[in-house]
Amino acid sequence: MALDWDQLEKIQPTVLKMVKNSLLKNRVAHAYLLEGMRGTGKREIGLLTAKALLCLSPDSGYKPCESCVNCRRINSGNHPDVHVVEPDGLSIKKHQIKELQEEFSKKGVESSRKVYMVVHADKMSASASNSLLKFLEEPNSETVAFLLTEQFQQILPTILSRCQILSFKPLHPKALLQQLEENGVDAQNARILAYLTNDLNEAITLNGDDWFAQAQKIVLKLYEVLKKNPLEAMVTLQGDWYQHFKEKEQIDCGLDLLLLIFKDLLYIQLDKSEQIVYLKYREQLEQFALKVSARHLADQMAAILDAKRRLSANMNPQALMEQLVLKLQEGSLFV
Amino acid sequence: MKFLIQRDRLVQSVQDVMKAVSTRTTIPILTGIKIVASEDGVTLTGSDSDVSIESFIPKEEAGDEIVEVKQTGAIVLQAKFFSEIVKKLPTDTVEIEVLNSLQTVIRSGKSEFNLNGLDAEEYPHLPQIEESNQFSIPTDLLKAMIRQTVFAVSASETRPILTGVNWKVERNELTCIATDSHRLALRKAMVEIENNDIYNVVIPGKSLNELSKIMDDSNELIHIVITENQILFKAKHLLFFSRLLEGNYPDTSRLIPNESKTDIILNTKEFLQAIDRASLLAREGRNNVVKFATINDGIVEVSSNTPEVGKVIEEIQSQSIEGEELKISFSAKYMMDALKALEGTDIKISFTGAMRPFLITPLHDDSILQLILPVRTY
Repeated sequence: MALDWDQLEKIQPTVLKMVKNSLLKNRVAHAYLLEGMRGTGKREIGLLTAKALLCLSPDSGYKPCESCVNCRRINSGNHPDVHVVEPDGLSIKKHQIKELQEEFSKKGVESSRKVYMVVHADKMSASASNSLLKFLEEPNSETVAFLLTEQFQQILPTILSRCQILSFKPLHPKALLQQLEENGVDAQNARILAYLTNDLNEAITLNGDDWFAQAQKIVLKLYEVLKKNPLEAMVTLQGDWYQHFKEKEQIDCGLDLLLLIFKDLLYIQLDKSEQIVYLKYREQLEQFALKVSARHLADQMAAILDAKRRLSANMNPQALMEQLVLKLQEGSLFV
Repeated sequence: MKFLIQRDRLVQSVQDVMKAVSTRTTIPILTGIKIVASEDGVTLTGSDSDVSIESFIPKEEAGDEIVEVKQTGAIVLQAKFFSEIVKKLPTDTVEIEVLNSLQTVIRSGKSEFNLNGLDAEEYPHLPQIEESNQFSIPTDLLKAMIRQTVFAVSASETRPILTGVNWKVERNELTCIATDSHRLALRKAMVEIENNDIYNVVIPGKSLNELSKIMDDSNELIHIVITENQILFKAKHLLFFSRLLEGNYPDTSRLIPNESKTDIILNTKEFLQAIDRASLLAREGRNNVVKFATINDGIVEVSSNTPEVGKVIEEIQSQSIEGEELKISFSAKYMMDALKALEGTDIKISFTGAMRPFLITPLHDDSILQLILPVRTY
């Protein structure tokens, strides 16, 4: 369900204020780069702005009415002058940008105003980026581009310099926590979910998912094994982890869960135990926290973050986890 | 919406509009055919957003009832299934009814199909036609004009504007120009126009090819309306919309030389065949270049030399050669394309030096010309 202007304004007030002003003053840029974490409403606000640009009777000059043909067709993805390019597989290929260029060498189907949106712009292949660059350099006055990305450092600097950048703030975990609790998610899960994602709907889906409940157990088990008998950690990986965490996103989620454990331990040591997320395991964690040094915890967290980075660089998952587990083992230095 | 319709007319119309429907489209609604039932008849529309074809089936024609509209309305049905269904229906009449919530029932004889439709409101809106701003041209002339120009459009997307044909209307005259920056084709014709509007638009070559496929050869008038974003061709019961290209077409008028240093008159067919033979060997080389030289007594020599294959020399008797002697090279492919597009048994080729573009025109006819840039070899 698409959120309307007022709902999105609560999530991203600064961004929408900028959009509103440029709409009202008729100073819409030819290209915007919407940059922010997953679930911060980039796509929604991109489409919202597209609707505002094409709406037949915008409310007070900038709010799309959501009821005219243009708004309805943008919501259902049927507007002939709004084009959305999404990664085809792992990356956005050159031919996709070429098709976009062909499309934009022609006049609009209905009006002269045309909008295109590149989702995950960081996933454009190098040649696709360069073709797009050519296109951004010579904008038609009536064309508006939205590039969406979660990692704007990976966008070519030459593209960045041609876009107006709208930075989306990550949602505050506390606000999301509150919303989740209002939606009947129990306190333990709500805390974890609030740190894992920024998207309320995604969090609620995860909460109802058996996979997620199981994932928490496996991650905790892995940690316990690591603590008690590091030599068995490899066995646990083989037995539970690989069967449960198969896809890249799933492994990423598993690593996030693991990271949260170490974060909790650190909070306990810093005497900020009201911030811990694994409420159910508080006593156990407090026990563990007594036995490690903060320095060591920091090293381990760094190892997990490093693993996450390697994951996004397509490292073999099995090799990745084994390496991580070896790094996390304390005391016995085999490696 | 509810109506009864003659099956053969429906099949014919569906086939016409299916030509515009593309299977690979990013916009989900364009996989469908829009069906509108009004008091006057039924309209079908298919589109791939570049071209749109609208076919109208009137309520009655020559006293025969074709459509019986019981309730007006509109629906979009999946083109893939709808076209197959209507082709295979058992009896001569088809009943199409839209129940509430976009459920569509197609009945014919004892067979009944239930199809899930899409909301017709979501379909792209085609421009409204204003009857006053149109001009007319016979269909066969239009097809000839397309054939004589569209082959010269650029195939590369580096300059998108050159993938289209430039149409200019000024003082009752329509001029079509196509160029890929190595050759140029130009064709002029008189049109019937009511007011003295001036148009200058660029139509994608692909759309014109589609158009000439769908129009039948007759000398009936076809009406043309140019709107801000689209051009519309209106035949009897068929509307063909095409999107225009964005941007300004380069000014080509100064490319065409006014004077010439060497004029040669040749028989079209003989010359075409000679070039074709010469290019047999040239084709093997990278650029398909043939050499052309004047020698004494009105004889022209066409030759080509590909060292690894061999060489060919052919002499052609021209009807007349006026002016300076000349040696020039050009692409055999471009020359053959141009000669095939020209009408008339004899042609005049006007050269202004070996490094300047040359003109090919039919003798005693200035409505069509072909311009080719030579290749530097000597």
